[in-house]
Amino acid sequence: MQQGNLTALSITIFVILTVVLIGFLAGRDKATRSSVEEWSVGGRRFGGLLVWFLVGADLYTAYTFLGLTSTAYTAGSLAFFAIPYSVLAYFISYFFLPKLWKVANEHKLTTLADYARERFDSKLLSSLIAIVGVLMLIPYICLQLSGIQDTLQVAGTGFINVKVVVITSFLLVALYTFFSGIKGPTYTAIIKDVLVWAIMLFMVVSLPIMHFGGWNPMVDKIVTEAPHLLTIPESGPKGVAWFMTAAFVSSLALFMWAHAATGVFTAKSADAIRKNALYLPLYNIVLILVVFLGFIAFLVLPDGTDPRFALLALIQTSYGGIGQGLAYSTIALASLIPCSIMAIGASNLFANNIYRDLINPKVKGAKLTMITRGMVFIVIGLALLFGLVFPQALVSLQLLGVSGMVQIFPAIVISLFWRNQSREATIIGLIVGLVVTFTVYSTGTSLGIYEGFWGLMANFATVVVLNPIFVKKAKNSSSAVKDYLFNQTLKEEQLVRKGA
Amino acid sequence: MKKLLLIVLISAPFIAQLVVLPFVNRIDPIIFGLPFLQFWLFLWIVLTPFCTLGIYHLQKSEGSLD
Repeated sequence: MQQGNLTALSITIFVILTVVLIGFLAGRDKATRSSVEEWSVGGRRFGGLLVWFLVGADLYTAYTFLGLTSTAYTAGSLAFFAIPYSVLAYFISYFFLPKLWKVANEHKLTTLADYARERFDSKLLSSLIAIVGVLMLIPYICLQLSGIQDTLQVAGTGFINVKVVVITSFLLVALYTFFSGIKGPTYTAIIKDVLVWAIMLFMVVSLPIMHFGGWNPMVDKIVTEAPHLLTIPESGPKGVAWFMTAAFVSSLALFMWAHAATGVFTAKSADAIRKNALYLPLYNIVLILVVFLGFIAFLVLPDGTDPRFALLALIQTSYGGIGQGLAYSTIALASLIPCSIMAIGASNLFANNIYRDLINPKVKGAKLTMITRGMVFIVIGLALLFGLVFPQALVSLQLLGVSGMVQIFPAIVISLFWRNQSREATIIGLIVGLVVTFTVYSTGTSLGIYEGFWGLMANFATVVVLNPIFVKKAKNSSSAVKDYLFNQTLKEEQLVRKGA
Repeated sequence: MKKLLLIVLISAPFIAQLVVLPFVNRIDPIIFGLPFLQFWLFLWIVLTPFCTLGIYHLQKSEGSLD
């Protein structure tokens, strides 16, 4: 590894420490940790703009920037699947998130598994969803970890022990998350988002000028020298069919992630969520530009550069100390802040839906709050352990994360609209979906289609075929959430009659 | 009429960003400095919020927004 740059390293460390400090300051008020609802979803008081920053911080991570550029570097336009994926994810969310938010608000729910438990009156289903959620989220946290590790390695080789700094910065994040709850990542997310926009725009404007004399000469050069980068392969294991199914399945999966759901539940009204669904697609303009940075890396960097380091190496060869420092600190923040939100999401699932629903149903109040907060250290500790000790074991889980998460879509979203969806069919469908996804992945029989697509189709088919068998029970059963969702007009009529 | 418009607004982002991909998967023409595929994706980043906005106003005028 080439020696790092001391100015760049100092700037990066300075920015990280400032943000950690702000993370702590965000929790000065003791109320931020007084209950699970305050700590994990900020008492549901965030307006549209804060939710925007929070969801943006959630979803645009270090892995987004490093992963997309390295995909663009190796596989060209396949990387653009991230565009329709996230645009459609927000579009789809417009139709179900406001409803989900209202149920969660009315019944004081803080996780998606909470919703499934109340909707289907099933602790089995809620703990199953929580296990899938935590199992898929820890590898995702590890990805952030390797993002900051790579960044510090490029910035600090020869000056610092990268592992020690990575562990320290993650423990600091765990500590401020424990202390401030969701308020920590929210306020720091604003800094991160502003930096991301500023730095990415700066890079997209300056890099083509530095290396090619402008944007248009750059595009001409890609067209003549590497046209294969600019279109999606027609066939092969990852071609157009993969692109379409991957984008579609990922867009359904996005808000099934615990950290995305946490961000959504902080909103103060269903309208704040609608507005976010409306404006968040615009955030993706950054993503298109980021993919082009991968193309620039392809043209500029010497052959044999490790694709994983495509963006970082491009920054290193193009800028001086200050420019490098600002770029590295942006990527470092894009790793640490989402990590904090992910840890909150995973801890919440663990404490509420695995510990309480499965192990100790009597726990409540202050003790549950303390357990939820304490789980942050376990979740981040596990991520550190796996990330540093068994990095290889995580690769499959990372690849399958989206395909696994999307399997809870029928339980969470379809159930908002389908009154007679039965508990049994939903649980079996979820399990079938997971099994099919893993089988297709491990046997390599995806036929050029995204693995999660096969799983989701099997999942849907199972629910539809099995539901009639259990429908009688579902029809007769009732729960507060079910009444709220489907009998509201009935209730209002009754109230009117009583009043008259 | 309103129902038809609603269906169009709901399906347009899916058709434009998934179904027609094989037909827009090309480099020429280059528009605003973007090869055609990238231009097309960029265009729908901007157009999708308008679809959502249209749906929002339709629902509001019908009173079906709760």
